[in-house]
Amino acid sequence: MIELTNVSKNFGNKTVVNNFSLHIEKGSLTIFIGPSGCGKTTTLRMINRLTPFDKGNIFVNGTSIIDIDPVELRRKIGYVIQEIGLFPHFTVFENIAIVPRLLKWKQKKIEQRVEELLELVTLNQSFAQKYPLQLSGGEKQRVGLARALAAEPEILLMDEPFGAIDPINRLKLQDSFLEIQEEIEKTVVFVTHDINEAIKLGDQIAIIDKGNLIQYDNVSQILSNPANEFVENLLGQDRNIKALSLEKAKDYVLKDGFITVLDTESRESVEKKMKEKNIEIAFSLDKKNRLISRFVLEKATETKKQKFIHDSAPWVIERQNNIKETLSKMLEIGEKQLPVVNRKKEFVGIIKLNNIFEEVNKKTNIS
Amino acid sequence: MNILSYYLNNFGRIMSALEVHILIFLISLTFSVVIGMAISIFVTQEGRKKIGKVILSIMGAAQSVPSLVIIALIFIFVGIGIKPAIIALVVYGLVPIIFNTTSGILSVRQNIIEAGRGMGLTQNQLLWKVKIPIALPVIMGGIRSSATIIIGSATVAAVIGGGGLGDFIFIGLKLQKPEILISGAITVSLLAIIVDFIMAKIEKKVVSRGLQIKKN
Repeated sequence: MIELTNVSKNFGNKTVVNNFSLHIEKGSLTIFIGPSGCGKTTTLRMINRLTPFDKGNIFVNGTSIIDIDPVELRRKIGYVIQEIGLFPHFTVFENIAIVPRLLKWKQKKIEQRVEELLELVTLNQSFAQKYPLQLSGGEKQRVGLARALAAEPEILLMDEPFGAIDPINRLKLQDSFLEIQEEIEKTVVFVTHDINEAIKLGDQIAIIDKGNLIQYDNVSQILSNPANEFVENLLGQDRNIKALSLEKAKDYVLKDGFITVLDTESRESVEKKMKEKNIEIAFSLDKKNRLISRFVLEKATETKKQKFIHDSAPWVIERQNNIKETLSKMLEIGEKQLPVVNRKKEFVGIIKLNNIFEEVNKKTNIS
Repeated sequence: MNILSYYLNNFGRIMSALEVHILIFLISLTFSVVIGMAISIFVTQEGRKKIGKVILSIMGAAQSVPSLVIIALIFIFVGIGIKPAIIALVVYGLVPIIFNTTSGILSVRQNIIEAGRGMGLTQNQLLWKVKIPIALPVIMGGIRSSATIIIGSATVAAVIGGGGLGDFIFIGLKLQKPEILISGAITVSLLAIIVDFIMAKIEKKVVSRGLQIKKN
């Protein structure tokens, strides 16, 4: 899809990109990460010829980009930058319509496309007639993404797109971008200096330092086998914990150690069943398998008698939550086990704290 | 009462002088705008930013040269009559237009230009669809002050035979007849105020609403 072969770039006598070769798979999200001035943005800008390269070659879909007119090349590649650069004198509609208009699309088709894109980036249709000055930072970023996607490019280049957004909104934008990417499956090259963002979003990560490509691999490989000390430092001391954010709650769901009952069953009969089977946890579900409530039978201790609790609004973990989020939620509310549901709120099983610890222990001992 | 009766008795003459004044103004402003914009666009193109900055400082200094100096210089080199007057006014009117257009285009934020280039706009499209529309409030400001300056300086240009309302002022001075002088002066002032008002309306119309709204 995108292929860099022995690409080099000098500014004066300083080498900013030193002999890069990398292959970027169609439909994948590749992160360029490194300290500022390392050459990551320069490399990105070489792909749409905003910065010319000195040596080597870059191929897009097998064609050398030197053989494509730069203006035409750029109209086929979406480009999002940190300051977004929305045109202040254009409405949101006109901003999104820029490239379709350059490509002389019919007005009707442009209107449909803008409507689609506003929906995709979850902005109300009324935003079409607003001007950039009337938008918040997050809204501008969404419009910037919609604008880059307008003419349905196969490739999307993003240069620290969320860098100027406050941390809370940045997480939200990352989440919605991941969802959008799941839907549109573009080939994305994404520059960042935030390792958490890289791990969260990336399929592959290219780690760059002082113009050299240090390591290029998929995220779990990089986390488990950092190439050198620089990569280790970049990943931080907690790289094992970071690796947890790659795993989803659905991988840790257990199907035993509890019983399920219908929500029409009486409290007394549930208590009786649990005592008979000597089981601590029961979940009551409705006919559509949706989780309604939770029963806990606490064991008797020396000081306490056996206690039966009915929890009508139980905490839940969603299948798609990553293990890092799951762990922090469990530790925060002090539960050793929680029910797991899917996005329709259907019950799928439970997740146990000590089971997560066991699995994590196994993995970290191996690496 | 002297002034009013003089004004009414000579209304026809004042009006035809006003016509000449407006004509001189329109011709001079048109040339100033076309030439001024062309020069500004030339000096602000990619890779010529240094020239642009030099031009900016020259224009900044030129703004403090009195109009009489320019008119006198043109008189020395070109002679007397309406043509030299117009040439002098065009030259003098260029200054605010070049100053504002150049600084307006140079101050369009780099990220906006980068985004435009990244989307595949050509240099020409960048200029006409992005840089000039965004710089338009500043450019219009330059044209407005140029208009006011030309109307004012056109009165001075009467000394080299430009004609127009300046004639009344100079004749009034020579004959020591304030009613003649004031009749000319009031008419010129009214013209300047009305023209500025019209320009403000035009500015509001041509500048994108997106650049006029206040941040909410």
